[in-house]
Amino acid sequence: MTIKKNTGRLILLLYLLLSMLCTISIARATDHYEIVTHPGVSEKTITRSTLRAIFGMRLHEWPDGTAIRIFVMPDDTPLHATFAKEALNVFPYQLRAAWDRLVFSGTGQAPNTVSSPQEMLAKVASTPGAIGYLTKSRMDGSVNVLHIK
Amino acid sequence: MYSISNSHSHNRFLMAIRLAVVPCMLWGYAVQAEKLPQNLQIHGFASQSWLKSSGNNNVFGKSASDDGSFDFRELGLNASMRPLPKLQFSAQMLSRWAGKGSPGNIRLDYGFLDYTMFSGESNQLGIRLGRMKNPIGFYNDTRDVPFTRPSILLPQSIYFDRTRKLALAADGAHLYGEQRSDIGNISFQLGVARPLVRGAEAEVALLGSDRSGRFVSEMSYIGRVVYELDEGRFRLAFSGSQLNIGYSPTVSDPIQAGSIRFTPLVFSAQYNAERWSLTSEYALRHFEYKNFGVAPLALDFYGESYYFQGAYRFTPEWEAVVRYDVLYTDRNDRSGSKWAAASGRPAHNRFAKDITVGLRWNVTPEFMLRAEYHRVNGTGWLSTLDNPVPGDLSQNWNLFSILGSYRF
Repeated sequence: MTIKKNTGRLILLLYLLLSMLCTISIARATDHYEIVTHPGVSEKTITRSTLRAIFGMRLHEWPDGTAIRIFVMPDDTPLHATFAKEALNVFPYQLRAAWDRLVFSGTGQAPNTVSSPQEMLAKVASTPGAIGYLTKSRMDGSVNVLHIK
Repeated sequence: MYSISNSHSHNRFLMAIRLAVVPCMLWGYAVQAEKLPQNLQIHGFASQSWLKSSGNNNVFGKSASDDGSFDFRELGLNASMRPLPKLQFSAQMLSRWAGKGSPGNIRLDYGFLDYTMFSGESNQLGIRLGRMKNPIGFYNDTRDVPFTRPSILLPQSIYFDRTRKLALAADGAHLYGEQRSDIGNISFQLGVARPLVRGAEAEVALLGSDRSGRFVSEMSYIGRVVYELDEGRFRLAFSGSQLNIGYSPTVSDPIQAGSIRFTPLVFSAQYNAERWSLTSEYALRHFEYKNFGVAPLALDFYGESYYFQGAYRFTPEWEAVVRYDVLYTDRNDRSGSKWAAASGRPAHNRFAKDITVGLRWNVTPEFMLRAEYHRVNGTGWLSTLDNPVPGDLSQNWNLFSILGSYRF
């Protein structure tokens, strides 16, 4: 097999791959969300840089010493993308890259991924030190709301 | 809580791995034996590549043969546990096949304890003890994990695969810290450690052949400072290391008990927009050889490397990358002509200019396919172990590669 053949095949492959590109999914507007915490977390407000450090998995405890437990939705869910962009001012791929750098160099851990808003509500309400995010329509009195200063 | 991230569909596989990893974690259990481990996480990856190159230029096995080379495989398994908010244990086992330099033996990639001595709302300071990855540039810490690389092959001018062990990881202590503010975060790692220098790979790369004596690691220093604006939208880093290696000769050895000091400095910059990322790194590498007692090993020279890289995400699933990567083994002899006159070897052994284009497809969040093509002028970063006769190499050559990688 010659390299010329390979080059030809590569061009064909690139063409096929590009032609299969799906249309860019347009993020549907999510109804408004809140940052939620376990009812035992006493913080009511938080700075954006602290919130980023928490979801960047670099801040590990609340001021009272309780371990912070981070819950997120999968990378491709509209609520996760909205939360990342609006609350943290980062893109989901940047968060994933930062988590991967921590996980695969041993210098940190990944957040806990939940698969549905119901699971998010249940986990945040039942895990001491938990933080996550939820659309307002999914919330009930079992979680606290945290506001960005 | 016993949690495994992203564990939707492959519980059986994970269970098998959990069973295999439990012995490794026993030391972790010991710190809080009275209850189930808190925040135990297990992650891993497996990748397989195929490479095909032109001429006689082999990259990771006999890639220049008619069938190409499948001899590039990476398997990793790590576990981490955070029994207290301030304390984390982490370890990763790695098996890597990549031509003759990496025969696939399973070894400890890193294993350390991390203790946060101080943690405030806007800053922290901590210490790590054990075997840590060396903080060099943007990619060295996770260089064997395909999902964290921008391409199948990292830019070889800076992330050499032929002398990888030297820069990979080291045993010792690191101090780390971070200061957060609205105008960005500054973080640093500073370490005192002994580099990993066992095996033929480092001897062939640094001394020209597999000698009868052996390298001994000496106290070395390593550090990196990173500035990040908006959690990584703009990233700027400076890495500096001084790696010290001694040589312990055998009785009949023609060379004496010399030493090598390798001082790489790396400047790194990256901009991340929603669709595209631009990355560039520049490295200046100082090599000093002393007291080997033979003229060819009385060396003192600077190598120079840089690359420019652009990535574009068409969708979250599809990403294209293009890169221009340049290596000069000796910045005072960029064409290699002085070296060729003195050694009788081809001048193109001393530089490489690599144009790369690649495509990445995230089939699922756990599975990725990649294809890339390199057009290279020069043979400066080709492995001597895979290419034992320098005169056989072609100066202008092509490399095509595909990779599949799974992670959890």
